[in-house]
Amino acid sequence: MNTGRIACLLVPDLPLCAALRADPGLADRPDLEFVVTSGTEGRSQVVAVSPAAAHLGLQVGCSLAHARAVCRSLRVVLASPELERSARQALLDVALSLSPRAVLMQARSGDFAAEAAALADASGVAALFGSEQRFASALGARAETVGLAARVAIASTRSTAHLAARALTHQSQASHTIAVLDCSDETCFLAPLAIDLLDPPDDLAQALTHLGVYHVRDLLRLPRQQLLHRFGPSALELVRRASGNDAEEPLPAPARTGFEESIALEFAIDQLEQLLFALRGALSRLIERLTLRGMALDALEIELLLEGGGRDVRRVAGAAPTRDIRVWLRLVTLALESRPPPAPIEGIAVRTRGCPERSDQLDLFGPSGPDPRALEHTLAALEAWCGTQAVGAPAIANDHRPGAYALQPFALAKARRAEAPPQAAHALVVRALRPPVAAQVRVRGAHPVHLRSAVSSGEILHTAGPWRSTGHWWSQEERYAFDHYDIQTSDGSVLRLCFDWMHDCWFVDAVYD
Amino acid sequence: MPPISPRLSRLLSDLGPQRVRLGNDGRSDLAPPCLPTGACLPTGVGAVDHLLRGGFPCGQLCEVTGPISSGRTSLGLSLLARTTQGGECVAIVDCANSFDPRSARAAGVALERVLWIRPPLERKRHQTLRCVERLLETDGFPLVLLDLARISGTAQTHGNRVVPPPAPSASSWLRLARLAAGTGTALVVLSHERMTGSHAYLALEMQSARACFDRDEGNDNAPALLEHLETRAVLVRHRAAPTGAIASLRLGARAA
Repeated sequence: MNTGRIACLLVPDLPLCAALRADPGLADRPDLEFVVTSGTEGRSQVVAVSPAAAHLGLQVGCSLAHARAVCRSLRVVLASPELERSARQALLDVALSLSPRAVLMQARSGDFAAEAAALADASGVAALFGSEQRFASALGARAETVGLAARVAIASTRSTAHLAARALTHQSQASHTIAVLDCSDETCFLAPLAIDLLDPPDDLAQALTHLGVYHVRDLLRLPRQQLLHRFGPSALELVRRASGNDAEEPLPAPARTGFEESIALEFAIDQLEQLLFALRGALSRLIERLTLRGMALDALEIELLLEGGGRDVRRVAGAAPTRDIRVWLRLVTLALESRPPPAPIEGIAVRTRGCPERSDQLDLFGPSGPDPRALEHTLAALEAWCGTQAVGAPAIANDHRPGAYALQPFALAKARRAEAPPQAAHALVVRALRPPVAAQVRVRGAHPVHLRSAVSSGEILHTAGPWRSTGHWWSQEERYAFDHYDIQTSDGSVLRLCFDWMHDCWFVDAVYD
Repeated sequence: MPPISPRLSRLLSDLGPQRVRLGNDGRSDLAPPCLPTGACLPTGVGAVDHLLRGGFPCGQLCEVTGPISSGRTSLGLSLLARTTQGGECVAIVDCANSFDPRSARAAGVALERVLWIRPPLERKRHQTLRCVERLLETDGFPLVLLDLARISGTAQTHGNRVVPPPAPSASSWLRLARLAAGTGTALVVLSHERMTGSHAYLALEMQSARACFDRDEGNDNAPALLEHLETRAVLVRHRAAPTGAIASLRLGARAA
């Protein structure tokens, strides 16, 4: 006896939901009459209608010319396969946000071409949510947050749950969006349903209708053997689905795939502001889906479809994973400004693999330090403002070149584990001059005696040195040879003066302060 | 000034004369507390810590000024070293890109615990303030060091244009002081001249005195070395202590 429970999330009108997700302005106006069409010509077919347009009598399948004739103020939205694909993936993300196993059902054709459905494992949810009803409500509510109006049905098998969700769509009472079927109620629930909900092949449907078989209960009364001989294996498979006894594979564990949101623009754009406006919508939808899955955004791939067929792919990475859209917009703006697209843009796709949200183990005895999540957001914001090479933890470079340093990502865990060097009491440190300041030096004997530079000018009162440093002798471009002096000038400045043997010039590269 | 009501008089006596300042219209105007309510961050330089009554106070805006070679950076890094040795993370907003990791390491700074930010050359003032505000809003950094000190006469160039160093406005300092007070972060500003005005809780002025170059005794052939820098720290502003006190320091060069 199958004790598993399956939940089916079903969006009956995917093109409509996809259009509303991409343009929140449409969703904010429930009285707006608009349709989603397969094209812009008069013969194009309407694939989805808004509730206001349906109220006027427009239906899926009518021509655009007819729709315009019925409603002169009709707004037409072109169907977008990219948006529908993203909406379908968003539905799967909703299912995976509340269930460990979920899978998308294959896209249908014919009467159910606009449908999108996801199946999720609902076994044992009563322990977490209190009841299966609450679990179904949570699924529906979560789907609403990403702009998908979904019906939710829970049953013992996939086919039964799917049928039940479809039946909710076709019921006259549109307010019912949830159905939870006990094992004992499934047969009674399925019996009065129309066979059309099973989506049979056209020839089989025609034949059954000709025989006067309209409902599931009528189909189940027919002898199996004769059905098989007369109509073939497809009829038997239909009967199994109608009775909820078809062979089902277990729901697979979710594969680690990336997240993608794409949009095809109505016209090519070449202004950065317009591009950022379109990118903002796609990014916000992407971040919504990552939030559902408890993931953060650490790197983003942006693909721009150019006018003329070209593509511009670029990668943007943040200092730390964050879901702050302002930070990512800033990073994307910097990337686009530094290297503008070579042609107007006709489409945009943003992709990421996402990464789990970081959690750091705090130390019981040490200082708590900044909150890891707040720190991540701060690092991402700082990097967005200052650049990728300007934020981090300093480090000693593995290089003997004077003034060499390195910059590493600032990691809280590493900071906590770090061993502090002994503090040198009353240490005199230097301020590096980057870039070094050119100097003119008069030398007497082997020592500099007069300095003229933007840092300090005057007689050199005291000199210590030189200390010679050389390196990278194997490289023509990187070899160096410096003589460093510690000097004090007549104006009181204590500087580090350097003579570059390779370029035969003097400069001041640090100040003792 | 109009007479104070008995109820207000009682309130004033309860609060104490240092915490409330009456405005010109007789209404009480709550002033910031004269004594810091949090701990202090010691610098590790005994004379300075004694001068500051323990160190730089948490939750306050403080300033260290002085010309080049006056020891202001050494004092700032000594503060960084002492704080990071306690296991705390610190941040330094380095406007001049002059932080030297090797020198800091030798002074005892745990580099892994330092968040080093270098605002971009263009729009530097705006980005500098944004960075500092963001750091102050991120609770968990007990010390933020804002290095605005520039080397006299040097100018940062952007293309063919000379970019003057940033000079935040008075309202900016007030905002930063309030943010610091809100999170208990010590915001210490290093600069070449006074910038924070009356918004700083305390201000130290470093005055260089003498650099000592010496050679080994009895060996005239030995090369001279920069031994130490003698400098003075003058307390030019303090909200809770008399000003004018001086501490003499000797900063050794062996660490650099």
